[in-house]
Amino acid sequence: MAGAGGTAKRSRHPSGIVGRILRVRELGLVLVLLLIAGIVTARTPRFLDGPNLEQVALSATLVCIVALGEAFVIIARQIDLSVGAIVAVSAFLTAAWLEHRHDERIVVVFLIGCGVGTALGIGNALLVAVARIPAIVATLGTLAIYRGAAIVIAGGRQISATVLPESYQAVAQAHVAGAPLLVWLAILLTVFFGWGARSTRFGRNLYALGSSPLSARFAGINEARHIALVFILSGLLCGLVGVLWGARFGTVDAVIARDLHLQAISAVVVGGVSIFGGSGSVYGAALGAVIFAVLQNGVQLLGVDQFWLEAVIGLAILGTVVFYSLLTRRAERAERESRRQASRARAGTRSAVDR
Amino acid sequence: MKRAFRYLARWEVLLLVFLIGMFVYGRSVSPYFLTSSNISIAVAGFMPVAIVALAMTLIIVTGEIDISVGSITGLCVAFMAVCLEHGVPIGAAMPLGVIVGALAGLVNGLLVGYGGLPSLVVTIGTLALYRGVAQGILKERGISHFPEWYQSIGFGTVPGTPVPWSSIIFVVLLLGFSTFLHATRGGRVLYAIGNNREAARFSGIDVRRALLGVFVTSGVMCSVAAVVLTAYLASARSDAAAGLELPVITAVVLGGVDIFGGSGTMGGVVIALFVLAFVQNSLGLAGVTPEEQQIATGAVLILTLVVFGAVRLMRAEAAALRRAWRRRTRGLIVGGVTREKLRGG
Repeated sequence: MAGAGGTAKRSRHPSGIVGRILRVRELGLVLVLLLIAGIVTARTPRFLDGPNLEQVALSATLVCIVALGEAFVIIARQIDLSVGAIVAVSAFLTAAWLEHRHDERIVVVFLIGCGVGTALGIGNALLVAVARIPAIVATLGTLAIYRGAAIVIAGGRQISATVLPESYQAVAQAHVAGAPLLVWLAILLTVFFGWGARSTRFGRNLYALGSSPLSARFAGINEARHIALVFILSGLLCGLVGVLWGARFGTVDAVIARDLHLQAISAVVVGGVSIFGGSGSVYGAALGAVIFAVLQNGVQLLGVDQFWLEAVIGLAILGTVVFYSLLTRRAERAERESRRQASRARAGTRSAVDR
Repeated sequence: MKRAFRYLARWEVLLLVFLIGMFVYGRSVSPYFLTSSNISIAVAGFMPVAIVALAMTLIIVTGEIDISVGSITGLCVAFMAVCLEHGVPIGAAMPLGVIVGALAGLVNGLLVGYGGLPSLVVTIGTLALYRGVAQGILKERGISHFPEWYQSIGFGTVPGTPVPWSSIIFVVLLLGFSTFLHATRGGRVLYAIGNNREAARFSGIDVRRALLGVFVTSGVMCSVAAVVLTAYLASARSDAAAGLELPVITAVVLGGVDIFGGSGTMGGVVIALFVLAFVQNSLGLAGVTPEEQQIATGAVLILTLVVFGAVRLMRAEAAALRRAWRRRTRGLIVGGVTREKLRGG
């Protein structure tokens, strides 16, 4: 009986290396990415030019790193709306520090940025994990506070590339093995965080918390500590992105990264992480960030009005949410059906025995 | 239930005391604070937030949330502006704007109510979508040639009094909303949904239709706010009402509505709206920039939630203590001495 079920299952999913690749959840995302890239290339071959691709990769990089942290947060069934504001505070403080210290070593700057991000992340963590405020309102509040703080600190000032040391901007311009250093950094972080979510106890605990906080607690997982950690992690990554932001764009003011939380959340949601928590992968979130970067670039290259871009992002979020919920619902229905069949079969055997 | 009522009453009284304190502080900051013209300006400027907060109260009572209110308002503003550009008279553009708001709310409501999707993601998605459409149709243009009578909706006062016209609209809406929420079956349905959705469904409540209803209401209120806002600013731009969700949600939560749904009153929300309006106004008079006022709003939101969280925790602790006490005294009843005898001596 079990053997028969096994064969039936196997016949639906081909075994071996091909089957395993087919079953990878991110495959659909890669196909979507290739499809979009294909359409854009067919209309404007300029898309595949080296410099253009590099721009796409660079703009994907920053969103991608933020999306990694956001993916952890969402997997644990929380949400962080304050990411853009943390990036702004970190970027401005970094630039302000560098303005008068040209001879400072660049590592110090990274420490400052990451420290600022971590501190603000701890603020979120305290509110959500200790004070037990729902993440959505807590981070809506900190979004206002952090962004306001950035604006107050900056006081309407703009720090431009001319007063920043060249070694700082060199970080964004450096190339390793033909690709920008930042892209390698993003890939490295993606692999590291992907591994962390998939193969460490901490990561598995997050999935457990996301799919059922109650059973996770009964399984002995410290809910508050894990939730605190994901917010701190998200803050840390935002701090890092703040440093990179200044290096990449040169000019920093208080209103940068205004829609970053939207971009990061849409990348994570499009990447297949369930907004209810507990499912999806960090790799998917990274792919989501790349898809949006390609989409954005494509919209620009095709000459579509820049003003419509936000509407496209909104449609993409809604579309994926509906799509994934339909998938889940179908899977649930199939499971119910198979359970009903199984129970019917069992009832059949029992009545045969009775007779 | 009685204890819950007493607690809520206390919270509203606390808010009132705070509001009075606000007036005292405001007076010490500036001699203009308590003048009727200043109060009139403070109230008129806050009316868009107040109107949207009425509908947000209904949504949060059901345990849902609508992040897209700012974008719906912006969309209605942009739509009315485009209508004006094409020569549609403002009298016809206003009802068209209301229809757009209702449609925007309908999309939210269908996805949340009938699609069974979480309101948080849906409205984050429509937040981007509606703002994007607003930018798409209005681009960077600004419209500012409104007729005199229209601007008076936002600015003007009832002749002979300092009462702004927009506050009359608000009071009428408020009466309607509080009657609905506190004195009709429909209002009780919302509390039932917010307390326990499954139980509400099994007791024969059409949860999906109720959710659709509150989101459409929210869309309509956003369009009313759009009318008041364009009249107040005397201009229409695609970034109008960006970030409106922050003061709206802050006011509702400060007013004592449980963010998890199921409890809260309109009265609390109204007092909270006035508190927020005068906090902003007195900060403005004290020379605090709008950005710093934004920090204050965020801080108010978080502080309120921390206080509520602490109170909830203490009540849970107290209930646990009471249960423990009862358990201990039950042993005495078995021994032949009832608790009443024990207390009576």
